[in-house]
Amino acid sequence: MKQQLKIVVNGEPYDLFVEPKTLLVQVIREMLGLKGTHQACDSSSCAACTVILDGMAVKSCSVLALQANGKEVLTIEGLADGTKLHPIQQAFIDNWAFQCGFCTSGQIMAAKALLDENPNPTREEIQEQMDGHICRCTGYNMINEAIRDAAKRLQSEKSAQSGKGAA
Amino acid sequence: MKEYSIIGKPTPNVDGPAKVTGEAAYTIDMTLPNMLYGKLLRSPYPHANILSIDTSKAEELPGVKAIITGKDTPGGKWGLWRRFRELSDQQALATDKVRFIGDPVAAVAATTEEIAEKALDLIEVEYEPLPAVFDPIEAIKDDAPMVHEDFPSNINATRHIEWGDVDKGFAEADYVREDRFVLEAAHPCAMEVHNSLASYDKGTGRLTVWTSTGSPYFVQQNLAEALKLREGDIRVIKPHVGGHYGGKNSTMPDAVNAAILSMKTGRPVKIVYNRDEEFTTTEHRTAQNMALKIGLKKDGTIVAFEVKTMTNGGAYTGLGATTLYLTGTFITMPYKIPNYRYDGVRTYTNIVWGTSIRGFGAVPAKYCSETQLDRAAKDLGIDPLEIRRKNAVIPGYEAPGQYKFESCGIQPCIEKMAVRVKEKWPKLEKDEGIGYCAFAYMSGGIFNWIDTPYAYSSAHVKVNWDGTVDLYSQAADVGQGHNTVAAMICAEELGIGIEDIRLHMGDTAHAYTDLGAWGSRETLMNGNAIKDAAAQVKQKLIDIARLKLGENIAYDLVAKNKRIFLELRPERGLSYYDLVKDAIRANDGVPLTGTGHYTPHNKGMISPAYGMGIMAMKAKVDRETGHVTVQDVLVVHDSGQIINPLGARGQVEGSIHMGLGYGLCEEMPMDQGMLLNPEFVDYKILRTRDMPEIEILDVPTYEPNGPFGAKEAAEATIAPAAPCVANAVYQATGAEFYSNVLKPEKVLKAIREAEKKQKASKATGK
Amino acid sequence: MAKHYRCPMCRKICAEHLDLARHYLGQTDKKHKEWLKTQGLSYAALIKAQVTEFGNKGYQALADVLKKTAAEVEI
Ligand code: FES
Ligand code: FES
Ligand SMILES: [Zn+2]
Repeated sequence: MKQQLKIVVNGEPYDLFVEPKTLLVQVIREMLGLKGTHQACDSSSCAACTVILDGMAVKSCSVLALQANGKEVLTIEGLADGTKLHPIQQAFIDNWAFQCGFCTSGQIMAAKALLDENPNPTREEIQEQMDGHICRCTGYNMINEAIRDAAKRLQSEKSAQSGKGAA
Repeated sequence: MKEYSIIGKPTPNVDGPAKVTGEAAYTIDMTLPNMLYGKLLRSPYPHANILSIDTSKAEELPGVKAIITGKDTPGGKWGLWRRFRELSDQQALATDKVRFIGDPVAAVAATTEEIAEKALDLIEVEYEPLPAVFDPIEAIKDDAPMVHEDFPSNINATRHIEWGDVDKGFAEADYVREDRFVLEAAHPCAMEVHNSLASYDKGTGRLTVWTSTGSPYFVQQNLAEALKLREGDIRVIKPHVGGHYGGKNSTMPDAVNAAILSMKTGRPVKIVYNRDEEFTTTEHRTAQNMALKIGLKKDGTIVAFEVKTMTNGGAYTGLGATTLYLTGTFITMPYKIPNYRYDGVRTYTNIVWGTSIRGFGAVPAKYCSETQLDRAAKDLGIDPLEIRRKNAVIPGYEAPGQYKFESCGIQPCIEKMAVRVKEKWPKLEKDEGIGYCAFAYMSGGIFNWIDTPYAYSSAHVKVNWDGTVDLYSQAADVGQGHNTVAAMICAEELGIGIEDIRLHMGDTAHAYTDLGAWGSRETLMNGNAIKDAAAQVKQKLIDIARLKLGENIAYDLVAKNKRIFLELRPERGLSYYDLVKDAIRANDGVPLTGTGHYTPHNKGMISPAYGMGIMAMKAKVDRETGHVTVQDVLVVHDSGQIINPLGARGQVEGSIHMGLGYGLCEEMPMDQGMLLNPEFVDYKILRTRDMPEIEILDVPTYEPNGPFGAKEAAEATIAPAAPCVANAVYQATGAEFYSNVLKPEKVLKAIREAEKKQKASKATGK
Repeated sequence: MAKHYRCPMCRKICAEHLDLARHYLGQTDKKHKEWLKTQGLSYAALIKAQVTEFGNKGYQALADVLKKTAAEVEI
């Protein structure tokens, strides 16, 4: 029996009906057509499908859609500010932090959640937090550097803003 | 070195904005209106006759639109060793018998994936199990079960390489040693699984296939064979590809069955493998046995080398026969070996087959040869770096009848390494060791077993009225960054910016042939074709500029910074954009075009150029647990003129990651042909916490055969990673390894054996 | 003009019997494999000898047979 799912995705409210066993990733990819969130395993062990659910990075293949009822989801498509890329996205480009790009959405969403919590993480802290993510292309070091670079960009953005606010 | 405007400058990925916003479409993200979902029914037996298949129950299931078995397919066989027709051994669906667990026997197309899966459960297949063979040593016996008819003792392919006088060489050696190795299989594990979307146009009889591949042309050729259609009636499009690593060269049953089902139903059909299918039915790095015999002089000079290889090929050929050949080639590089003999045999067995995974033969080969070299060096009392320097090739070195190094920076690489290691790791703690491995790798293959009648690479450049450029090529960006390299080469040659170039890549309908992304070929081969195409257009602009400038004809004109000007009088020149308009006007309104191509000639059997270098790793061994920690990595490499330093670094980092996995944790244990770890939970891929930092130093050279002096900068650094770890552990503890995957149990055992050996030699020493 | 030897199964000619044996065992078609039987040789045994033991044992065994059977050609 389908049940009602009220969910906000990338700021957009949706009123859907889903089977109890429907996964959040299926809602995102198939019902909403947001194909930027990728799935690379069937065992909840690659984190390619990571999205942000009420501020927390989650594997969208491991969350039932109904568990997200009444909650807010942010996917890779919702990260940029209009045509302006989010600083994490820009840092990923500038640091060559992806190759095939298939794991990238998940990495970026996890990085976003991480930097929201810890605005100035060390290499080791990033490794600790991101250890669930498989990337078969990059060897991770350049992702790690991109995240530290993004942290700097976000901080200087913040201080620029607070500077403006003061003036 | 020449100053370029674009080449050699760190350049962000041209696909970056699409890939960081989720907009980049991979085949797996694509749907078409009215599309059906396909699924394959696979054999549970490693070897069995198919007695009957009953699809009647499945056909009754609502939503099922077509079910096919072997007899419903056009029946064409295909493969990548097309010069040897009998090695075209793949088929869409097994007809008479199945050859490995996972061989497909039926395919279903239904309105949803769920219905297609349900239908599979309703198909009844009666099998008669046959004796099966899983190991090359068993496979080659006279009475072994035959995987394919006409291949007695399961000999799929053999390779022999020989130069010099090997027996005489060994006779002259002061020191000879033999070592035998068993190398484990590994899976490429692309994050995007194999998947294809096929759409057949009933009206025209033409087929379009979108697929996750490294070579649209290979798929086009193979589909033509499988479906008995003309190549030209098939269009293959490669969208963004979520990882390749050599595992996406062969055309697989997903593409072929999607096409057949689309031809049957008249609707688009998509087949997506699940992760289990990806592990159990797609190509992997072959498990193999190797035996090495090396002869050296007292001073460490190699005088003779002999190598024997038996690979556990699996059920079909793929590019596995090429891997067999390259194993015998790369194992000699980058050393001067005056006398060499190689024999390899690839056996058919009843497992999923092995092929051309990243490093293409070099990975198992170098593991054996470089660990053997360390042991020889120790016995002879020679420093491991010194023995490599002493034997390393010099520019112009030729292995008779096989290969020649033109640009060649290995000696300066080793010298730089010696200096840097002393600075970086001045002192080792207890149980720490440094392991070395020198390496060299091709920049695209010369061999043509695929039997293409076309140029190996081609590219087409069109310059529009406003100066924007359309660049067309079948070359494949599979994540390695070739799109960026292609745009950079085109822009540099025309003296314009990357933002002026629009790419149209990886589509067989838009461009002439390129053999695709394998063997680190795109930068050199496709790069040469692009440069050639762009140069033709540039010449037209220069001709017009000459006319307009009216200068002395002795002056040379160059294209740079969006101008064409006299090289020695830069102030005298014209704007690129103005010249384009003039040129098109002078050309009866036709946009300027150039078509470039590249096929190597007179460059030996392997490749026109070789990337090379030396790697060092510092590792620490825990003598209690056997756990090995790789602490630090140093690479000094010669990749000619590096086109994009950002991309080149990415390739080195990624190669080391995969190579370390081969050395430390990746394995494919099987029981009676059944893979025991077909999920990321059990198949161990190194995670971010496992990765050391990597320092990369360049020794630039100029490669005469490459565009702007460029050559391989992609796969060379995968092979040295595992031998570096093994050698580091050897240097720290004396533990010797005769197989890869240094799991703690194996390390502990090897340390104990080493300790025993040390005690024994001390005892005899007294 | 130098003496060469012709493969009994195809047009290949080589200056040395050992090279001809290398050619021969490199072929994957049925025809080449079958003829070995008529000479009392086993294709598998030859390959196995060549690839499991150091040296050129498999090729040498076939070269010895070709010395007696391969036609001579002058080119
Ligand atoms: S798809 Fe692998 S963890 Fe979600
Ligand atoms: S970029 Fe390819 S898997 Fe991470
Ligand atoms: Zn012959």
